[in-house]
Amino acid sequence: MLQHGNDAGHPAPTRRRFLTALAGAGVATAASGLLSGCGTAQAKDGPLQFWNFYGPQRSPDPAVNAQSKWFVDMVDKWNSTHKTKIELVYLPQPTYLNGFKLPSAFATGQGPDIFLLSPGDFLRYYNGGVLADLTPHMDKEAVADFGTALDSRTVDGKVYALPMEVEPLSMFYAVDAWEKAGLSEADIPTTWDQMLDIGDKLRTKTRAGLVFETNPGYYQNFTWYPWMWQGGGDVLDKQGNVAFDSPATRQALQFWQDSVRHGITPRTLPAAGDVISAFKAGNVAMWQQGIWQVSSFKAYAPDYRYGVFKLPAPEGGEYTTALGGWSFCANAQGRNPDAAAEFCAWALGSMSDDSIDRMVDWCTRAKSDVAPRATALERGAAKGGYDSEAMKKFKDEVFPGGRAEPRYPPVVYKAISDAIQGTMLAGRGVASETERAAESIAAYAKSYQGASLI
Amino acid sequence: MSSVAAQDHRPAAAPAAPAPPPPRRGLGRKQREWIAAGLFLAPDAIGLTLFVAIPMVLSILLSFFQVSGFGSYEWIGLGNYERMMNDPLFWDSMKVTGLYVVILVPVLFCVSLGLGLLVKQKLPGMGAYRTALFLPYVVSLVVVGVLWKFLLDEQVGAVNRAMRAIGLEGESWLGDPTLALGCVIAVMVWVMMGYYMIIFLAGLQEIPKEYYEAAKIDGAGPWTTFRTITWPLLRPTSFFVLLMSTVAAITGGLDLIFVLTNGGPANGTSLAIFYIYQQAFGFGEYGYASAMGSFLVLIMVLCSAVIFKLTRGGRFDDGE
Repeated sequence: MLQHGNDAGHPAPTRRRFLTALAGAGVATAASGLLSGCGTAQAKDGPLQFWNFYGPQRSPDPAVNAQSKWFVDMVDKWNSTHKTKIELVYLPQPTYLNGFKLPSAFATGQGPDIFLLSPGDFLRYYNGGVLADLTPHMDKEAVADFGTALDSRTVDGKVYALPMEVEPLSMFYAVDAWEKAGLSEADIPTTWDQMLDIGDKLRTKTRAGLVFETNPGYYQNFTWYPWMWQGGGDVLDKQGNVAFDSPATRQALQFWQDSVRHGITPRTLPAAGDVISAFKAGNVAMWQQGIWQVSSFKAYAPDYRYGVFKLPAPEGGEYTTALGGWSFCANAQGRNPDAAAEFCAWALGSMSDDSIDRMVDWCTRAKSDVAPRATALERGAAKGGYDSEAMKKFKDEVFPGGRAEPRYPPVVYKAISDAIQGTMLAGRGVASETERAAESIAAYAKSYQGASLI
Repeated sequence: MSSVAAQDHRPAAAPAAPAPPPPRRGLGRKQREWIAAGLFLAPDAIGLTLFVAIPMVLSILLSFFQVSGFGSYEWIGLGNYERMMNDPLFWDSMKVTGLYVVILVPVLFCVSLGLGLLVKQKLPGMGAYRTALFLPYVVSLVVVGVLWKFLLDEQVGAVNRAMRAIGLEGESWLGDPTLALGCVIAVMVWVMMGYYMIIFLAGLQEIPKEYYEAAKIDGAGPWTTFRTITWPLLRPTSFFVLLMSTVAAITGGLDLIFVLTNGGPANGTSLAIFYIYQQAFGFGEYGYASAMGSFLVLIMVLCSAVIFKLTRGGRFDDGE
């Protein structure tokens, strides 16, 4: 009886009760997890998020630290003077470029309020309706100050992305290797044939004579376009018709194929693509690279002797290069598109000294780039930002005559990429690959709906 | 008497029955066991439902939509499947996948089995060998990719240096479409062999020693012993290895491809899983990627069914 009495008052622990309690706890834990998983990753009234691949971060590389600090200072300045706050969210570059975090965020309606965008992605994001119009937040004078740098970021006269930099491509070469081979500045090639000859002269078993990008991707296409443009070729003509199947396209594909076939260009990048290490270790003589390498050399190999020359042109062709560079964008479907757009314009697109100086700082101190605004370029030059031999060459010789990176959508990019890869690395016929790519682009262009492809 | 007789005809009073046991409170033993079993299974079942079953169903549903990647969905029925049927790049990637599976699975099987037989020997320091062979499996595939990218570098990589040291010409291992897939397979074998070696080792240790002793007395050589004792008795283990490595080959390897070749050169290592990832997260074609993913799952299920059929599910004989 006593036992019964005790049972009623204070139940003894039994297996059943233990399991029941455990199940209850499990359900409670799972439910709380599920409920929190259903919520948004950020509070609705929290600071606007600016996803980028620069900062805040700490790195042994002083150049990377300087770039991170530039972002942090910019956001701090905004936050100290504006009611709507902004928070930087750093994503490592490979994750930002090739990972699933950014696309997944947009696909689920959780895209960042402000983000960085490359020209290759512009149309996809614009057609997806996530790019806010920045024009209302900019002075006409500022729009004019950007000039042609806005061409690939504009639809129907409205600006949807503001470039923070212009990054032209040129050839970098190892001065020591050059001199050891008995070459001088007078031997700097101005034609494709000359460049192949010199590459052949400079190559050894452990040193590539001439390096072009070999990995498939938007970047490889970006580096290949100028060779096509130099012969007068294009993917789409000015009316938007497919113009890929042309002698100039075939000539450019043939050029890269020949350089690989003759062993002048390696099939993979030296030092797994680490440009500075490859030059320092003597594994490369010439490499098609962008202006951003100037700051990398400065940070990692300040005493290394390298030179820069503009891309040679084919016989009868005309010099041009591709101008890359990333932009600030505001999410039209974000929590506060107006404030995000205002931030982009405030940071890079205002006529205030602060905005112009910020761009000068980015392009000449934190990084090594051509400034996309005329006033910033002038001011940067006046401050000595383009005084070094390499930067001067980029500003005065390489950049003029350059052309903005196209904004082709994925299907067009992929068709071109397959043609480049097929001819360059698989040795396929230039004519057949050009035809196949042109057909693929034409089929896509026929059903394409969205902003102009050019 | 009569009264006695009458009394005698009265039914005898029933002996006092023992008091019935008090009715059991709550559930019976069987019911309690069912509940306990359910509770123990629940975490796994909930996890599988939430993270496998529901996403799978959603993915199949998604394959019937045109998805912009920015939140808009448009029903297009079998449109994505039609596109898949007419996409030469997808079929190229399926061919690459087929070749990859057909080479990787048997090579991995043989290497792992060979290693399993070797490390079964009782020799000094065998634990260290086993650990060393298993180590690549615990390294991230991204790290493995970077490591092998340097080893296979065509100018200064260790492999080409070694070849040049013995008078051979170096090769562009990752830049030549005829070699790149072979290199990816070799690296994958290097990564996975330790894991399957351990599985085989466990299977080998299950085989009773008496069989080997009897075979030795009968004068059987190593090959005969392997063919008549080891191989037949390893059937359940072989089935497991074959099935798991096939599934892993069809659906895995994305991170390694990403780092090592990015699908190149000339799509030479663009496995179906890589192409699907590229379409989804590179190009925002989630609906199309889901259609291809569903198709790949179907192929995987068919392959598994064939393996089940051919090996009789790893059973020693019918009905057992």
